[in-house]
Amino acid sequence: MERPIFKPIGTPVGQLDTPALVVDLTLLEQNIETLHAFFRHREARVRPHVTAHRCPALAHKQLAAGGTVDGISVTTVGEAEVFADHGFHDITIANEVVTPQKIRRLCALARRARLTVAVDHPENVWHLSEAAGAHGVTLQAMVDIHTRLNRCGVEPGQPALDLARAVQAVPHVDFVGLMTYAGPILSDEPELMAAETRRCIQQVLDTRYLIERAGLTVRVVSAGNTSNYEIAGAMAGVTEVPAGAYALLDARYGPHRAQFTPAARVLTTVTSRPEPATAITDAGQKAVSVDLGLPVAADLAEATVASLSAEHCRLRLEGATTGQLHLGDTLWLTPQDIGTCVNLYDYIHAVRDGCLEAVWRVAARGQYR
Amino acid sequence: MEHYRPAPGTPIADLDTPCLLIDLDAVEHNFRRIADTYRDTVCKMRTHVKNLKTPILAHMQIRAGGTVGGVCAAKVAEAEVMVEGGIHDVLIANQVVARDKIVRLCALAQRADMKVGIDSAQNLRALSEVAQQHGVTLGVLIELDTSMHRAGIRRVEDGVELAKLATALPGIAFRGIMSHQTLPGRPDKQTRLIEGRRFMQMCLEVKEAIEAAGIPVDIVSTGETWTYDVAADLPGVTEVQGGTYALMSASYGYMDEFAIAAKILGTIISTPRPGIAIGDVGVQALASPGGVLPALEGMPGVTVEALHDEHIVLHTDGTTALKVGEQFLLHSGQQDILVNRWDQFIAVRHGVVEAVWDIPARGCHH
Repeated sequence: MERPIFKPIGTPVGQLDTPALVVDLTLLEQNIETLHAFFRHREARVRPHVTAHRCPALAHKQLAAGGTVDGISVTTVGEAEVFADHGFHDITIANEVVTPQKIRRLCALARRARLTVAVDHPENVWHLSEAAGAHGVTLQAMVDIHTRLNRCGVEPGQPALDLARAVQAVPHVDFVGLMTYAGPILSDEPELMAAETRRCIQQVLDTRYLIERAGLTVRVVSAGNTSNYEIAGAMAGVTEVPAGAYALLDARYGPHRAQFTPAARVLTTVTSRPEPATAITDAGQKAVSVDLGLPVAADLAEATVASLSAEHCRLRLEGATTGQLHLGDTLWLTPQDIGTCVNLYDYIHAVRDGCLEAVWRVAARGQYR
Repeated sequence: MEHYRPAPGTPIADLDTPCLLIDLDAVEHNFRRIADTYRDTVCKMRTHVKNLKTPILAHMQIRAGGTVGGVCAAKVAEAEVMVEGGIHDVLIANQVVARDKIVRLCALAQRADMKVGIDSAQNLRALSEVAQQHGVTLGVLIELDTSMHRAGIRRVEDGVELAKLATALPGIAFRGIMSHQTLPGRPDKQTRLIEGRRFMQMCLEVKEAIEAAGIPVDIVSTGETWTYDVAADLPGVTEVQGGTYALMSASYGYMDEFAIAAKILGTIISTPRPGIAIGDVGVQALASPGGVLPALEGMPGVTVEALHDEHIVLHTDGTTALKVGEQFLLHSGQQDILVNRWDQFIAVRHGVVEAVWDIPARGCHH
């Protein structure tokens, strides 16, 4: 368990115990407003993908902003359990749930929340049906369609129709629609991003048409994410966009998504100044994930993050910066990937105008099961 | 926080996945190797708990033998967990700078023999001031940079100056010097021995200079898993800070006297296309700094193709058939980053759960 020193509400941010994951509420609220405003008067709605932050307090803010399906999207049964315990009653697990242990948990959870799960194989559908029947619950299933990444999902067209029919054929599982996970499509050229997004999603929409012609009702088509929500959300037939990264953002999305600002950063303290051109701080790979690359010290001119070891960040300083940054000074690191970074923390320090306003639990941290 | 506690006796095949396993035979083998190496040497092991994050594992090594009787930690919060877990000798092999953290360090010094690494006079003075206010004595070791280009003094003279200051300041006990080392890649044994000796020699040079100034140096704390054998017979080195050896990782495969004890158990959840299987473990649970992919255990013809947030993509050439619901074992490349992403170890022996241990210092990056 993370063990920071908890400072009183109102404490200036520079006095927080470090390393600390800090969210600027003004920026967070702007990010949420930007994306949710887009969905407020559309056929498609946003279903916040909360695996991006694992924090129920933040997810409640997202649903309160409107433009949503009044539900959330998660990746694991464990995340669904945590969010159900924090009052969320419509949860989509955008993932396959296959083992007997997990299917049992899914059915138990279906007693207190409306649960939708992805399927990509008829055998899994039979197992879900059998278990749901035994537990006296009904599950909702979406057919997962493979469009882009080499991951789960049946092929679009006939294979998806066959699976939809398999869902329709069994009791205790309702066929609700289709989903695809195409991953972030980040490109410097908006036309390329849009074209690739349309290419992926059109396959799902064509499949929707095929399935409806076969007499099945498709209520849900889930596609898109923070990288392409405005394209996905404007395609007729898409009903929900499971975007997640937009709320906190990170250095990976930042350059490609100018309408959002990185709202969550890691506060770190200089612990050693062994040479004028080197500063060592107390945030290493255990405080800022580097799975997708090094963080950025965005506020400091002439300072580059040279490397992160397990417990330390090494900054290379140039020019006037070599005379600054003293022992005990704090600075900000913007992570490359906020999803893996949040998962290192039990608490998010929420600040407004530079002062601590709330401490939020990252309640679903570590819920890999 | 996770709430999963399979009963002892549960077969691995029945475990909900993913989970972090410790192979008890392997970890006990590694602890014995250390006990055997340092049985009759002056130099002893000071196990680094930034890797283990769990007091029981530290106690297991101390009981097995070959140690100084204490541990080293990277952060004050880790040290707190260890002292609460019954360890009474902790070296924080790092700088403790923020005043709040120095206060915590002094609070720990009421209950345990606390030592900390220093590399500046400013920090040393701050430690002295807070220690005096709390009526405690903090042990200090001067950190020397040998190869990491990280914290640590760069010049022998600076070591002598700091040692003089440490001896003069109230609330401070000068204890010695310390250093970390790095050796990139997969060095052969000869390189490992030569480089390890060279780095330690740099520490001994500082030790001699400080002693020449009339200040005794009790502790020379140096080394890593990859120098444990070099340190054992280098006169003057009193202890080795080793961490990875206990649970091991794929990237230390060249140290084959230690066995891989930490493994991730996953399950195949989809076989969407011929030759492709998707597992339920991803970057979040595994950690792959720099995009290094984990290694599979005992699955001939199967390779790891990609890692996503919560998924792994496996490819088989057909030698091993991959079916939905089947389990697989992974070895991570970087062990302490891996452990830091889990709340529990599931300790197994011969395919059966023997214990479940919480990892109380997970997330203790403070």
